[in-house]
This record gives sequence, C-alpha cells and structure tokens, in this order.
Amino acid sequence: MKRWIEKQRCLLDFTLSSLFRRKGKNIALVLVYTLVVFTLASVMMFTQALKKEAALVLRETPEIVVQKLVAGRHDLIPLSYASRISQIRGVASVKERLWGYYFDPVAGANYTVMVSEDPSLDEGEIMVGQGISRLRQVYKRNILSFRACDGNYLTFKIKGTFEAESELIASDLILISEGDFRRLFGVPGGYATDLTVKVRNRKEIPTIAAKILQTVPDTRPILRDEILRTYDAVFDWRGGIIMAVLAGAILAFIIFAWDRAAGLSAEERREIGILKAIGWETGDVLQMKFWEGLVISLSSFLLGVLLAYWHIHFTSAALFEPVLKGWSVLYPKFKLIPQVDGYQMATLFFLTVMPYTVATIVPSWRAATIDPDSVMRS
Amino acid sequence: MIELHNIRKVFNAGKSNELTAVDGINLAIADGQITVLKGPSGSGKTTLLSVVGCMTRPTAGRVILRDREITSLPERFLTAIRRRTFGFIFQQFNLLRGISVLENVMLPAYPNGENHGALRDRAAGLLAMFNLADKSEAPVEWLSGGEAQRVAIARALVNNPAVIIADEPTAHLDSRLSREFMDIMQSFKTAGKTVIIASHDPIVYESAGVDHIVEMRDGRLIAAGSA
Amino acid sequence: MRKSDIFWRFILVNLALLGLVFIHAAANTQDHLSRLKHLGEMVEQLKLTDLCLTTEAPHTRNPSQADWHTPFQTHPLALEHFPSGAVVGPPELLRKSYEKMD
Repeated sequence: MKRWIEKQRCLLDFTLSSLFRRKGKNIALVLVYTLVVFTLASVMMFTQALKKEAALVLRETPEIVVQKLVAGRHDLIPLSYASRISQIRGVASVKERLWGYYFDPVAGANYTVMVSEDPSLDEGEIMVGQGISRLRQVYKRNILSFRACDGNYLTFKIKGTFEAESELIASDLILISEGDFRRLFGVPGGYATDLTVKVRNRKEIPTIAAKILQTVPDTRPILRDEILRTYDAVFDWRGGIIMAVLAGAILAFIIFAWDRAAGLSAEERREIGILKAIGWETGDVLQMKFWEGLVISLSSFLLGVLLAYWHIHFTSAALFEPVLKGWSVLYPKFKLIPQVDGYQMATLFFLTVMPYTVATIVPSWRAATIDPDSVMRS
Repeated sequence: MIELHNIRKVFNAGKSNELTAVDGINLAIADGQITVLKGPSGSGKTTLLSVVGCMTRPTAGRVILRDREITSLPERFLTAIRRRTFGFIFQQFNLLRGISVLENVMLPAYPNGENHGALRDRAAGLLAMFNLADKSEAPVEWLSGGEAQRVAIARALVNNPAVIIADEPTAHLDSRLSREFMDIMQSFKTAGKTVIIASHDPIVYESAGVDHIVEMRDGRLIAAGSA
Repeated sequence: MRKSDIFWRFILVNLALLGLVFIHAAANTQDHLSRLKHLGEMVEQLKLTDLCLTTEAPHTRNPSQADWHTPFQTHPLALEHFPSGAVVGPPELLRKSYEKMD
C-alpha cells in the first residue's frame, strides 16, 4: 500500500513537471475552467439562496389577493366587491390594498408606493426604503416631492427609513397615508388597487377562490401558494440569461474535451513511447494521465466553488447586479442566507471534473498500449 | 545468462509491408562480458536488442533469462523484470524535453514506488559520477551531445540493472567521446555488469574490452566469435 | 519540496476552506433566520407579495401580481427589459391557470 502511494506521488511529480513545461497554456486553461465553474456555482448558489429566502419571507403573504381585470388588464377594484366577497362562507376578512408605481424622472427609477394601515403615519409623512434613500440621498426628516396626477407637486417629509435588513422586500418601497396616495395617483375613494382576503380555514383557500370567481367573475384571485411558487421559478433555467450561461459553460467544456480528445500530438506520443521504453507499464502511463486531468479539473473546481461562495455571500452577488438590474436604476443591497447544498456541489463536481479527467485519459489509451520498442525503431 | 532459441521477429504480419526483421537466431549472451552486435543498418541489430531486452515479444522462439523462460509472461511481469534487469541507452538518447536532468534520471524508477529521498540521492550520485552534478536542475535542452549521452547512461543505471543495452551509442559522438564511452562500458564490465552494444562503428567493436562480436546481416547471424 | 507535496497542500487548503464554507453557511443560518422572521412580520403587516429583486418593470418587480399579458408581450427574452426580464420570467401561475379551482 505504501508503495502504491509512493508511486502515485512520483507519477504526480512527473505530471506536474510535464504540465509546467507549457506553463502559459495550462495556467490559462485553469483560469478559464475556474471561470466556468465559478459562473455555474454562482448561479446555483444565488438561486438556492433566493428561493430559500422567498420561501421563508413570503410565508405570511396574503392568502388570497383579488384583482379586477378589464380587457385582460389589471384595473382598480370597486370596494363594493369587498362586501360581496366577505359574505362568502369561510371568509374571515376582506381588506383593501392601495399600491402602485411611481416613476421618478429625477433619478430615472421606479418606486413602489403603498398605503399602510399604520395610523401613526400622518398626512405629509412617508417612510422610504434604503434603496431610495441611497439613490436620492435623502434621510430622516428630509423632503421629497412627487408630481401628482393633476400636475401639481406634493411634498412629503421622510419620517424614517426601513432598516437595511429589509432591502430584499422594501428597498424601493414608499409607505404613505391613504389620503396622500389618492391625491398623488388620482385613485378615487371607493376604489382600491386590489383586495386581500383572509380565510378561516387554510385548507379552504382554493374552494373560496372558486367561489370568489363565481361571485365576482371579472376578477382574478391569486393564491398564496401561487405566489410562493413564483419564486421557485425565479432564475428558471429556461430564462434567456440562464440559458446563455449554461450554453456557454457547455461550450467551454466541449472545447476543453475536444482539445484533449483530438488525440495526442506526435510529441506526446513520442514521450509515452519513451516512458514505456524506460520501464513504465501501460497502467503507469494511464495513471499519470489520470493525474494530469485531475490536477487541472480538481484545482479549477475547488477554486471556482470557493470564489463563487465568496462572490454570492461576501460581495452580495456583485457580478449579477447588472443582469438583475437591467435598465433599472435602483438595486437592493442584499445579504442572502448562505446556502450550500452538498448534493448540488456533488453534481457540479461530477459534471466538471469527471468529463475532463476522462477526456484526458481516453485519447492516451491507444498511445499507452504501444510496444516499448517502437521508440527504438523510429 | 540470456539465451535466445530460434528467435524470429516479423513486423506488420499479414499486411502489405510485412517485414521479417530477424530469423533463426540462436544466441547465448555471457554474464559479465561485453558483447557487440555488428552489422550494417537493416541487419536486425536493433530488433535483436529489443528482443534480448524484453522490449518486444518474438513472433516465434523462446527467450530465457537466468534460466527462466520469459517469452510468454504477461506485460506487467515482463515490464517489472525489464525495469529491474536492463538499462537502455538509446541511439537518440530519448531524454524528455522540458524536464530537468535529475528528474529524467529518476524516471525509470518512478513505477517502483520506492522512497523518494533515497531515489533522489541515488540519481544525484550517478550524475556526480559523470561530473554532471552542477547540471542536475538544468533542462535537458541545455546539454551538449556528450553531456546528454552521459545523462542517458546515468538514467540507464538508476535501477542498478545487471545488463546494459546500448543501441548505436556512438552515432552522434566524435572519436574522443566514443572512446570515453567505451571506457565507461569497460568500467561496467569491471563492476560485474553485462553489456550488449549494437554498433557498426569500428571504435566500438575494435575496442579492447569487447569479449564477443556477433555479426549479423539481413536478420541472420553470420558468425559469433570472440574479438 | 516535491511538486506533488505542493499540490497536495494546495488541495488540502482548498478542501479545508470548502469545509469552512459549509460551517460558515450552517453557522450563519441562525442569524439569518431571525432576520427572516422579522421580514416575515413586515410582509404580514404591509401585505407584501414579492421580493424587490429588480424594479425595472412591473412584471419584474411584482412577478406574482403581473398582468397576464404583459410578460408575454415583452417575451421572448423581454428585449426591452433585457437582461432582467430574461432572468425573471413570467411566473408559472400564468402558464397554467386555475388548475386547482376547476
């Protein structure tokens, strides 16, 4: 056993000397390989973390949200619908929700404006999220003006900002009183953006949703379950960018494997011949080739995964910012719950390390079995 | 010590370029002596060396090494025996480019799995013996012809083999280096090793230490006689 | 030092770091859980329905509330809202409708 270990160490020594000969090429290979693993692992970790956060945070999202649809578009819902819905058996309460989007031309950003039930928010006061605070450089007791639907400007005093921890849900949020909301957006009294319904028995939610549809057919109930499932599909692999990343990664691997599998150069074949002539068996040559594949792929895999974890959890996925942000100007700073899934890492390991190692050994098979005397004859 | 019985070696059997390199070879190589295979190129010297050194299996015939028939041994055992018993010096030297001199010398011993430190010391000792100690970390491309020759010899010795086999060793050397080479072979003989050299260079076969000359032509032996 | 030793040390250091990653993830989970609990309360209080991932368009900011047709209007690849629209696709609920209620 000790001999076997010593032999492997010797073979590894030779492999490293051999790889060192083409230092530039092999370093470039490791870098690109690491980059590919880094990208894949980053996407995997980011998606996992976001899904976990969404699942935990949105657990208490409204049980049913009722939207009114007019010609397929989401329209304001009359409050009279609320009383009709509250008469359905099993409904505990129906509340109105007032919210919308405000486009701020000064910053070029969209804000989500919402009315809160909190009675302590007076007229003329607002609460803003950290993202807005950062973007407009406004803090507690500063003033912000918004252009109302009638062309006049309304000014608000910032009562406070949401804490940094809440960026994931409230980065772009403005909390406002009902009166101010209606003045700002021109939403008449008697109408709301949508209704939220609380049911008595959670298991009855789908049944009650069906009844809501019967009672007010021009509405669309959205169930809590559906909201949660939305986030399972975030970064769906069918999405354009994810597809591009995956395709790029697969292409990169095909290129690596092709480079290895295209067969050995005459130089490599000659060297294998020499090794066999000086006393290496076929098995020794193949073990050496195995190390050659493993050195590159294992190093790249480990570096890629470590860098990915650092990227996602210590820089808050800084490299994904431009992708998620798109053209939007406001981007939340989030610290995600660190999620490393052993199963996913193992999958990534098998998808990256094994094919490359195999692609290094297989083309050498033929050369490794040549007669040692071929080197003498050439 | 090494006996060849009715050895025949055919390359590319059954194909259009079929070639019988050697045929009807019956030969006994004596222990502790220098034997030279003499003959023009194409006479089968290199093939015979390969068969003697267990580098290739004969198409027909038997090879007996130290009273043990090795012709039909599986590759693993044959390679292990070859590694322990024979040290090869190739015509083209066949050192690995880009690797250091010291590592080149150590390579034949890698599959043995022996202690690395001991191996390193042994290889360094061999290089010192040939006055190459200061070149041990240099890449082999930097060596002169004579230096490369000596590294090749050092490599052949790293497993302390009983038999040294050299194929046209003086082909790339001038007269002085050729004579130096034969001196080194003589010192091996003094140390009790068996030496087999294939060469058509007079400096080799007319050298004083040569005990047997085996003449070959067209794959057959002509005469096996003492020098 | 032997080259193979250097390599093994490199790998071992990386494996140790990888182990640290798993430990870090496990250790940090507790802190995050309390943060997430607090966020859960905010969600309940304010009646929020979505994470603030990208504020570029209504259907990327509130994907669970999106109009049926808007994401499809701007899909495939949502070029005007590229790249965020390509990443936050139309929610699954729009792709299958009312299955539970039929």
